[in-house]
Parts: sequence; C-alpha cells; structure tokens
Amino acid sequence: MDTSEEEELSSKMAFLEKFMDMDRRWVYLLSWIFVLAPLLYPLGLPIPINQEAIKWYDTIDKIPNGSVVIFAPMYGTSGMPELFPMTVATMRHLWSKDIKVIVVTFWTEGPLVFRTLLTQVDPTSYGKVYGKDWINLGYVPGSETAMSSFGRDIPGTVSSDFIEGKPTTSFPIMANIKTATDIDLIISIETGTPGATEWLRQWQAPFGVPMIVGCIGVSVPGMAPFLQSGQISALLPGLTSSAEYELLLKKPGLAVAGVDAVSMSHLMVVALVILGNIAYFATRGSKGGKK
Amino acid sequence: MSNLLRRIEIPIILTIVFTLVQVIPYYVYIQPLDDAASYIQRWILILVSLSTFVGVISILQVHGKNVSKRSKGWYFSVIVLVFTVVMALVGLPLAEVGLGDKNLVYLFLFNYMLQPLSGTMYAIIAFFIASAAFRAFRARNIEASIVLVAGLLMVMSNAPLFTVFWPPFKTIGTWIFAVPNMATNRAITIGAALGLIALAVRTLMGIERGYLRGGGAEQ
Repeated sequence: MDTSEEEELSSKMAFLEKFMDMDRRWVYLLSWIFVLAPLLYPLGLPIPINQEAIKWYDTIDKIPNGSVVIFAPMYGTSGMPELFPMTVATMRHLWSKDIKVIVVTFWTEGPLVFRTLLTQVDPTSYGKVYGKDWINLGYVPGSETAMSSFGRDIPGTVSSDFIEGKPTTSFPIMANIKTATDIDLIISIETGTPGATEWLRQWQAPFGVPMIVGCIGVSVPGMAPFLQSGQISALLPGLTSSAEYELLLKKPGLAVAGVDAVSMSHLMVVALVILGNIAYFATRGSKGGKK
Repeated sequence: MSNLLRRIEIPIILTIVFTLVQVIPYYVYIQPLDDAASYIQRWILILVSLSTFVGVISILQVHGKNVSKRSKGWYFSVIVLVFTVVMALVGLPLAEVGLGDKNLVYLFLFNYMLQPLSGTMYAIIAFFIASAAFRAFRARNIEASIVLVAGLLMVMSNAPLFTVFWPPFKTIGTWIFAVPNMATNRAITIGAALGLIALAVRTLMGIERGYLRGGGAEQ
C-alpha cells in the first residue's frame, strides 16, 4: 500500500470514527426532521391491518346489545399523543352500538382527557342520552384501593356523577349496577399504574369481568403473560395499532395522520444503528479504531 | 398512657388486623368481613382525598422556601407557585360563580399549556431513545448482538413501512413478543409475586418492620 492509499484509508477511518462519535444533538436534529416532515407532508404509506387491531375491533363489535361496559381512560395529558386516538376511536365504536357505557378513571387527569374527547365526539350525534346510555363518574382517588372498593360497591364508592353532580343512583343507567358482577367488559386505556395489573387483581380475578387493554408501546412487553393466559382478551398497543383500528372503523383520524411519522422515525433508528455497526466493524481492526 | 400508645406492638397489631380484613374476603366470602373490608376501603379513599391537600401544602412550603432564600433556580419555583395557586383557584368546583373545568382560564391552562407541555415532555424520550439506540446497539459480543438483532426486528415489526415491504417482519416481531418476551416477563412477574408474598408474611408476623419508625428498631 503506497502513501496516498494509506492516507485515503486513514481519512476514511477518521470519518467513520467521527460518525460513531457523532454529537447526540445531530441525532436529535435528525429525529426532529424525520418526525416533523411526514406530519407536515403526509406520505400516505400503506398501513397493513394486524391481528391486535382486528381482535380489539372484534371484541368491541361482538359485545351483545344492552351490555354494560366500563370505559377507563387511565392516563394523563402526557399520554395523550399516543393514546388519545385509540380513546376517541373506541368511544366512537362503543357509541355506535347499543351498549351502556360507564366512564370512570383512577387517574387525576383522566376526566380532563375525557372532557377533551367530548369536544371532538358528540354522543348525541350517535343518539346517546347522558344518564341513560352513558355516564361519566369522573376520577376516584385511592388508586388500587379505590378500584377494589368500586368493584365491591359501585354507587357506594362514587355517590355522584362527574358532569351533573347528581346522585349516581338517580340515573337510569345505574339502576341495576351495584357491583363488578353487573359489568360485562372493562376497557382500560392506560400508561401505567394504576392500570391493567390493578384491574386484573381487583376486578378480573375476583369477579371474572373480561377486560381489554389499550396501552403505550413501552408497556406492551409487560402485558404478554396476561394476554397469553387469556386474562386480557385483547391488547391494542400504541399508535400504529390505533391507526389500524381507525381504518377498520372506516374513520381515519389522529392515529392514521401520525403513523407516517412512526414509520419514518423507526426507519431513521434502523438506519443509524446499521450504519453505526458498519462503522464499528470497519474501524475495529484499524489503528486507533474502537475496540 | 402515652408510653402505652408508643409501644411498637400497636402499629404491628393494627397492620395485621387491617391486612387480614382486606385479604380474607378476597378468597372467602363472609358477609360481615366483606362489609368491614368495604367500609375500611372508604376510610382509605377519604384519607387519600385529604392527602391531596397535604401535597399542595408541601409544594407551597418547598417552593416558597426556595423563593424566600433565592435558592438556585428560584424563578422556576415562582412559576410553580403561581400556577399551582391559579389552577387550584380557577378549578374549584363552583360552577355558579364561573369556576371549575369550564372556566376559560382553566381551559386555557389545560388546553394550551398543560396538555402540550406534558405531551412534549413525554415525546422528548423519543430523542433520547434514538440517540441511545445509535450508541448502545453495537454488536460488541454475542449478548449485545442478540439484543441488537431482537431490538431491530421489534422496531421494524412496529413500523408499517417495514411490514408492508416484508410482512414476515410482523410475524417475527409477534414471535419475539409472545415467546421469549412473554417467558421473561412471566418469570419476573412470578418472581416479584413470590417476593411480595414473603414480604407480606414477614410483615404479618411482625418480623418485617421497615415501615415503622424508619427501620423499626426495637423500643
């Protein structure tokens, strides 16, 4: 190898090493571009429908008429970018059917999340009457203890509703609702604790109430044992599955709009990791290369 | 009398009694015990509700002290104090005087400050994850290579861009989720549950006193 070749090789190695030690702010900038660009200029990438969304859709779609469902937005404002689209889509689906819905949350910001939903979805447009077809019981403080108490005695734990402040028992929807055994399904959309495991301990195990869970991506691995055991009947993980569910409902919304950004950000991470490894292997054996 | 009340046995007995009242009805239905458990749970709900005020007082004390002492970053404490007070006042459930969750100030703070700021704080994680993945996912040895390959496959199985291009990405991702991930999580869950049972038994027997008097030294 002559001197010029050595110099060229050395400059290539220097570049690769520089790339491997790239300042994290460049990665942040790239992330920002890869997320923002598809939001501003949607790519309209195809979205294949997967089993999770189909199971979620089927579970809700097959709820028998007249059933009573607990709908629990168990998250705060920080979870809204990822979970709000599935919250909206699920409520649209529920209100399009002849099902009684009891909204309750054990997260302080849960009622505010649901109030935001009401600004976007009008239950009266589905012919639903407050107090007869659905009711909002608001936030119940006390985390898992409150969930247990709520299961044992629903009107005893929440004595008045959240929207009108009237006694819970004065609403027709609550006429036959006393304990968890009167509930046919729990739908928990959540970011953490209290959430699925607390529902499992205080509702699913002691009362046998079926439940389905919508959660953020990072919570998904922890749900696997409960999904496999059948304790959780369906799981809707993250924004991509929300987009698939919106497509199944034929009501594309916030999730479909955001899924291009998910794809592009994932593409960027994969590309960076692969390039980083190529650089790592190329420089590993070189003089002064990373070991 | 005061010496009697200070005895360590009293909180231990209270813990044992109240724990058993909650645990037994979970497994065996006995009407009076079930009623007692429900009744006690409502005490807890009341206590938790009251503790919210303790939280507010604590925030006011901690940040009030920061401001009065002009500690480092005291101006952030001013922001916390101002918004704690404003949000609490305008959010009071007094609809007849225009307060509560329909109040315009409350709605403005919620819709245009709390919601975007909280979402932003959560979304910032994406930047750290991208940077961390770039740095940490290097095939330095066999273990790191397994993590790298599994991680990349999971990332690709969750992005429609990849699953449309090659559908088996989704199948592989589902397998990783349902088999190795599930097995690991199940082991962790069962292990933690066994640890909790052991802790509960020790607490009920009065052996575990870590929750008493900062370590439960014998008095």
